[in-house]
Amino acid sequence: MRWIVLLLAAISLPSLADLDYHLVPRQIAADTWMLEGSTENFSRSNGANIVNSAFIVTESGVVVIDSGPSLRYGQALRQAIARVTDKPVVQVLLTHHHPDHALGNQAFSDVPIGALAGTGVRLKEQGDALAENLYRLVGDWMRGTQVLLPNQVIEPGTQVFGSHPLRLLAFSGHSGADLAVFDEKTGVLFAGDLLFYQRALTTPHSPGLEVWLQDLQQLKGLPWKLLVPGHGPTANDAAPFEQMVDYLGWLDGLLHDSALQGLEMNEVLATPIPTRFAGISLTQYELTRTVSHLYPQYERDVLRRVDR
Amino acid sequence: MSRGPLLLALLMLGMPVQAIESGPDPVPSVMWEFYRKQWIKDDPYLFDARVRVIAPPFAEDARQVPLQIDARDVPGKVRRIIAWAELNPLPTIVDFEPGPQVLPWLAIRIRIEQATALRAAVQTDDGVWHVGSALIDAAGGGCTAPSVVRSQPDWEQRLGQVLGGRYPRDGFSRVRVHVAHPMDNGLVGGTPEFFIEQAELFDVAGHSLATLVLYPAVSENPSLSFDLRDTGPVRLRLRDNNGNQFDAALE
Repeated sequence: MRWIVLLLAAISLPSLADLDYHLVPRQIAADTWMLEGSTENFSRSNGANIVNSAFIVTESGVVVIDSGPSLRYGQALRQAIARVTDKPVVQVLLTHHHPDHALGNQAFSDVPIGALAGTGVRLKEQGDALAENLYRLVGDWMRGTQVLLPNQVIEPGTQVFGSHPLRLLAFSGHSGADLAVFDEKTGVLFAGDLLFYQRALTTPHSPGLEVWLQDLQQLKGLPWKLLVPGHGPTANDAAPFEQMVDYLGWLDGLLHDSALQGLEMNEVLATPIPTRFAGISLTQYELTRTVSHLYPQYERDVLRRVDR
Repeated sequence: MSRGPLLLALLMLGMPVQAIESGPDPVPSVMWEFYRKQWIKDDPYLFDARVRVIAPPFAEDARQVPLQIDARDVPGKVRRIIAWAELNPLPTIVDFEPGPQVLPWLAIRIRIEQATALRAAVQTDDGVWHVGSALIDAAGGGCTAPSVVRSQPDWEQRLGQVLGGRYPRDGFSRVRVHVAHPMDNGLVGGTPEFFIEQAELFDVAGHSLATLVLYPAVSENPSLSFDLRDTGPVRLRLRDNNGNQFDAALE
């Protein structure tokens, strides 16, 4: 009997050794490396590695941009950095509070973890619920992961690390508090989730699509040479901006027109997505989420008081 | 004495019931029999894809899940529509009786506590129940989450305010309303049940067009849409379980 139990246990227990993110840093500019996640949804096969993180190896140490979705990812990121340089990590910058960007913090608990004040507030309020949801979606990859709040408030302005002046810019269109990092030495713009490319944008904490569009106008005006979106491939041309503005404009128009016509949420969801967005992954899935997040406000804007 | 003729006669009396083949349940459910006994009892029924229960594949916000019930393709006159979320602690959503001037169609937002089957049982004039089904996935917690309405300052001042709109359609006309009400379901600690339980649509002459009984599975700040054959003005009367009455008029 006992061997049956052991056999069953061996078959049914997921092997933790298999939960390897295989993070391989790719150099994208001088001193600058990126770990590109997939454009899929969260799943038990990808362990939530759907996000781009990056690091800059400066003369005075390594600056990490976003810590990833789990403790395990944060540890793997740190090991990946150590394979590239023997310089110590001196700074983590969180672009925003979403779990795929900030739940690797525990692996950097000995380093200043900086974020906009609004990011800290949001992570404190929502972090546990966001982490719980990731546990539900990706399972064992999350083992041991807990919210570790940032311990340093980032003020907008320029901060110099070695020979890299980093311009730290505060926006709000994606999550309510969004940090973009522009490296003036290399011209790399780390846009966080203000920029999605070839992956549908997400709206759970967006203050409104028009705010986001304004943020993008400002970002686009920076003298960048390479764009690193929060999700999706890098680009050295304005294609990600063009796609974002086109997609946000379509979304805004769809929600507005639907509300004017008195459509129900499920009818909005049944609207065909224009074929020009066919190359963007997860559009239907994210439309379902966005309608839930934003349509009620569009409805309130067109309905009028009818009580007597 | 042979009992054959008597049995045969009894069987023939039962013929309308026997003639209905309910067909396979299109969704996995451990609760179907329980709800069948509660709502359908021994009436004839069938699982019927012509009753479209439309919801997103997953609940992004388990406190505000859009549900649309469309029984326009069911043959015969629809007498009554009952909807429920099978695995909710408070499963019943709505009991809707559309009159002849109201299409057998309804949109409403609901709370769900976990992934569940959603059902709409539609009774036609011949007494037969046509059951539509859908499945929805969810992270859950929609029924036991603290009220968003109650966290807003001055929510009492807005209690019973109705936002509405009227939208022409090809051959009918849509009425949409959003009602400011916390719809407390009694599952959140320290807050007793406080919800709108009756809604009725009237024409200008005061004739009833449709009635709804709402249950605490309906979301806070309820959102309701009806499709009417008529384009004339209508009035909506809502009543909550504390005796408050709210009236709205839609041109």
